[in-house]
Amino acid sequence: MTPLQVFLQQLANGFTLGSIYALIALGYTMVYGVIQLINFAHGEVFMVGAYVTLALILALAALGAPWWLLLLAGCAGAMIACGLLGGVVERLAYRPIRQAPRLNALITAIGISFFLQNALMLIFGATDRQFPAVMPFIRWNIGGVTITLMQLVVWISGAVLMGALQVLVMSTKLGKAMRATAQDRTACALLGIPVDRIIALTFVIGSMLAAVGGTLFGLNYGTINFHDGYLTGMKAFTAAVLGGIGNIPGAMVGGLVLGLLEGLGAGYLSSQWKNVFTFLILVALLLFKPTGLLGERVAERA
Amino acid sequence: MMPRVWCFLSLAVAVFVCGCSQQAPVIKIGFSGPLTGDQAPLGEDMLHGAQLAIDQANARGDALPGLKLELVAMDDQRSPTQSVTVAKKLVSDADVMAVIGHLNSNCTMPASAVYHQARILNISPASSNPQISRQGFDTFYRTSATDDMQGLGAAHYAFHDLGARRIFILDDMTTYGRGFSNEVEIHLKKLGAEILGHEGINQGEKDFAPLLTKIKALSPDLVFFAGMFPEGALLIRQRSEVGLAAQFMGGDGLFDPALIELAGAQAAEGIYLTTITTDITKIPTAQAFVKAYQERYGDIGAYSAYAYEAANIVIWAIQKAAKKDRAAVLAAMQSFKDFPGIFGNANFDGKGDPIGRQIGIFTVRNGKFEFVKTASLQ
Repeated sequence: MTPLQVFLQQLANGFTLGSIYALIALGYTMVYGVIQLINFAHGEVFMVGAYVTLALILALAALGAPWWLLLLAGCAGAMIACGLLGGVVERLAYRPIRQAPRLNALITAIGISFFLQNALMLIFGATDRQFPAVMPFIRWNIGGVTITLMQLVVWISGAVLMGALQVLVMSTKLGKAMRATAQDRTACALLGIPVDRIIALTFVIGSMLAAVGGTLFGLNYGTINFHDGYLTGMKAFTAAVLGGIGNIPGAMVGGLVLGLLEGLGAGYLSSQWKNVFTFLILVALLLFKPTGLLGERVAERA
Repeated sequence: MMPRVWCFLSLAVAVFVCGCSQQAPVIKIGFSGPLTGDQAPLGEDMLHGAQLAIDQANARGDALPGLKLELVAMDDQRSPTQSVTVAKKLVSDADVMAVIGHLNSNCTMPASAVYHQARILNISPASSNPQISRQGFDTFYRTSATDDMQGLGAAHYAFHDLGARRIFILDDMTTYGRGFSNEVEIHLKKLGAEILGHEGINQGEKDFAPLLTKIKALSPDLVFFAGMFPEGALLIRQRSEVGLAAQFMGGDGLFDPALIELAGAQAAEGIYLTTITTDITKIPTAQAFVKAYQERYGDIGAYSAYAYEAANIVIWAIQKAAKKDRAAVLAAMQSFKDFPGIFGNANFDGKGDPIGRQIGIFTVRNGKFEFVKTASLQ
């Protein structure tokens, strides 16, 4: 491989990881944008998505369904389950304390995270679970750079979902209501916008995106563990901060940039120092641009 | 989920109640290893080996007059901090006469100091880092071979049998992984192989494509990984995904059927690994163990036999001491000689390391581990 081919290959690797980070980061950033809560349980919602996909794939494969149906059903099922979970968590855990100081909600979020993690462990066991190789393994060689079908699926589903979310937020009535709620909850309520429902829907949509992230994560890496949600969730949260928390395009950019940084860090520096490298860049960036790459609307509120 | 929670709760209550109403005096033998988390399969295999030995001993009769043996299993979650907590818990129980454990070298290392301070016999069935027995603890013994031996055997096989000359070494930056990989590197360099790089990976990480792409660009003959099977499986799987054609070799930390399951049989086909034993099913003195273990638990895990051996040595020491007393049990080990173990006559050197261990080479064929040969240590 020539140095250029290696570089392009590393970009492709980083892009794959980054797409998954971005999908999860969106949930963090949407919730933060609307109610200024860092939903630390989001990483576990993502993991629930991976496990639901696994359970559905195993169940349907036993019935002899074709691979694309397994994939679609697994992903759709995970989206429904995680959407419900996100909504239920918001209704039962966050809504009752919405008027309380923000720290209370943060601690609640950490509690929910522990709860979900241990629930996953009790239901699915503590050992690594193998994801069956559902998709046919196809590899293309484009000018010395290897692209797999899996990578393509990750990129395309990431791009499509992020595009859809952008349309939803910018061009629909619901999106408009979400943006309005983010700006001023009281004024929205006065104008007859169902604020509670809008906030719940924000959780639902964010959780559904995380579910897709979970499906892709499981399929791509082949093994999942109940505590994978923690590290991946933390990285996605980092991505959201990197892009500017509360800013939706920021989460997308942040996720991709973080994935690329990790890929290039491991590829050109050293895999054992890649996290150090990644977080050094993050610290440096936040020193000079505290609002993240694309900034956010905190200034607007203040 | 709720029925399960209730199940656990009622189990916990039941255990608690039994624990209180326990009238029959017992001799407890502590066990510690990872029983939850990604390495739980290895820990469970170890536990099964120890349990089998203790059940067999109890079936033969009381260990000491009126005293049955009881295994107290603890979960160290493969975490060094947790291993110390667990070790302190075990030594604070006055009924515990010895501890079998731990699995990971970075757990055994700090825990062995706790056992040494408490003057309690500790036999590790799995931790292979040479430094552990060099701490000068007279309480520490192990039934597993050490990584200086394993590193030599691995380097020999890679260089002479696989013909590898350009080698990239990876480890998981643990006491075990780093120690083992350094031994491999030293011996490979002595043999004249070219080490293209030696890098660490983080335990628990999933994405190794960038690292493997970098390695692919260096076109090595062989990638050597010193670490445990969860990360090993991901490396093996992703190596075939990025199209890295080099041969793959690892150590005893990969020797668990879960490796093949998690990596996929196709990707795992043809990898090599060293183990701290030859093929256990072919050792004449191990046949009774093999039969009893397979009947009860199925496949024999990487450290099952060592845990079984460790438990039998502990039972021997308790009977030799002839009283329920930690100091006497520890002192009994001084007269340990030519114990009829499952690997032949067992003896320890002055540091507590076993004498006469052999390193085996295994490969994966048709989705199963297959014994290749006993490694040369010349």
